[in-house]
Amino acid sequence: MDRASCYDNVSSFAFVLLTLAAVVSTVFLASCHPPPKPDPESELITTGRDIFFNETFNGNGRTCGTCHREENNVTIDPPFIATLPDDDPLFVAEFQPALKENFENPRLMREFGLIIENLDGFDDLANKFTLRGVPHTLALPTSIDSPQGPRTGWSGDGAPGDGSLRSFATGAVIQHFTKTLDRVPGEDFRLPTDEELDALEAFQLSLGRQTELALPLPLKGTVAKRGQEIFRDNTLGKCNICHFNAGANANVGGQDLGNANFNTGVEDLPDQPQDLTGELVPPDDGFGTPGDGTFNTPPLVESADTGPFFHNNAIETIEGAVAFYIGDAFNNSPSGQFLASLDPNGIGIRLDATQVVEVAAFLRVINALENIRQSLEFLEEGAHNGFSRRNEAERLFNLAINETDDSLMVLEGAGLHPEALAHLKEAKRLTEKALRRVFFRKQPAEAAIRELEKARAQIIEVS
Amino acid sequence: MQSSIFRVSLAIALISAATVVYAEQATEIFIPIGQSPGLSHKYTVIGEVEAIDPGGQTITVSAPSGSHNVTLTARTQIWLDRSSLKLTNLNGTPADIQIGRTVEINYEEDAPNGDAKWVKVQITEP
Repeated sequence: MDRASCYDNVSSFAFVLLTLAAVVSTVFLASCHPPPKPDPESELITTGRDIFFNETFNGNGRTCGTCHREENNVTIDPPFIATLPDDDPLFVAEFQPALKENFENPRLMREFGLIIENLDGFDDLANKFTLRGVPHTLALPTSIDSPQGPRTGWSGDGAPGDGSLRSFATGAVIQHFTKTLDRVPGEDFRLPTDEELDALEAFQLSLGRQTELALPLPLKGTVAKRGQEIFRDNTLGKCNICHFNAGANANVGGQDLGNANFNTGVEDLPDQPQDLTGELVPPDDGFGTPGDGTFNTPPLVESADTGPFFHNNAIETIEGAVAFYIGDAFNNSPSGQFLASLDPNGIGIRLDATQVVEVAAFLRVINALENIRQSLEFLEEGAHNGFSRRNEAERLFNLAINETDDSLMVLEGAGLHPEALAHLKEAKRLTEKALRRVFFRKQPAEAAIRELEKARAQIIEVS
Repeated sequence: MQSSIFRVSLAIALISAATVVYAEQATEIFIPIGQSPGLSHKYTVIGEVEAIDPGGQTITVSAPSGSHNVTLTARTQIWLDRSSLKLTNLNGTPADIQIGRTVEINYEEDAPNGDAKWVKVQITEP
């Protein structure tokens, strides 16, 4: 090889290298965005998220996320529990000898998603306890305030100390994270610090819907539209009295009463699934010690994909949950009697089967709309996370897929809006494509956003 | 018309009155003195028992903010804070409130004198 051709080869090689470098840089820079400006609130939320899902507080291995799973609407239910490995910290009572007795009932946990709570004291662990489902922690800014102060947990009295959401984690660590039933701070767990409580509160308040719906919504579906009318009719469905705008706040005679407690008679339902097992299931007396039989009102927008329903997971389907309100247990309860006292004909709630299904269809549709809203939020945020923040993008895309799956489930479960389903399925496919990609994720993510918007336009009039 | 206004007013009164905010007290027993979230150092008095009336129903607590009287009622819960001994905390009785012991008092009302909702008594010897 002569010197000239050698130079030619070297310069060709250098040119190829430079071109390659330029292409790689362009690709890299195209997928790179400057990190978002530090914002104290979002930093607190990020810290809170890390504590919520990773901090065990030197306890038995559980975290807040053990029962409040991010990929399952920050709750757990029997089908989800069935997917967990046997060494998951949820099942500590099955493999940690110190927690074998009187800490959980593994059978009722696996079969019905029920968790033991010693809300009336820890002095008789074998007999004095309640079994409750795990409430989701979505939309908390809309659902825990009352004129009398904050209401947390299934009976509105879930937090120790000042009873606030901020204090909730302290009680949860003592109840659920302990290594032994002695529950000695510093030995069996450590209590959250003030800074950790601040961060946990900020994170929990950031989850899900931040504002109330404003009903009526311009729904397109005939059945859901009628369901909304019944829901809002204070002489028929009467749902809007205690679940104003399908949220968690009561509104009587135009007066906002905030998040309230009611005795709706759930404890009086016959043949409750957990009672049929022969296991000890003491009655749950609700709010206070001793309890007054009332339970806190949860928001309904997020209900259809977060069953089973009520504090004790007594009912599996949203249709069954609506039908509860036309049964004897409700209509003979203090709340049923109260509604009857307001009714000129002395009726609590009386609906027929078609109307029950219509109200449930309305709840399914507003849940699907919330799923779509959440998916859009996750996709938009995920699409703006470049290569350097790919883990965060993947987390957000996975959450978007979960939400889209939920919207499919709640609509398909009642044969609602088949025309929207194709768009939702395509949105899911495109989000999965974005998830698989290392570069150029924005395009499939934006295409998924367009599909979700089309799905939404099938369900509701969009201006 | 008057009847329906009465019913609505009654409903509001019932809902409001029946649901006074109530913190969960079951786990409070396990929270050491000074660590109750949102309460300690703000809505409670922490200090040393200075005096106990002969009937044992009223105690005087000396705290950095001054002397405070507290009345024990049938509803008052008394807990023994044995966390410094690395032992489980227990339910106590008025007899456990002794002169010289450190206590944390939470009042029925937020004012630092009156009926006690709960009293935590620090136990430093087994």
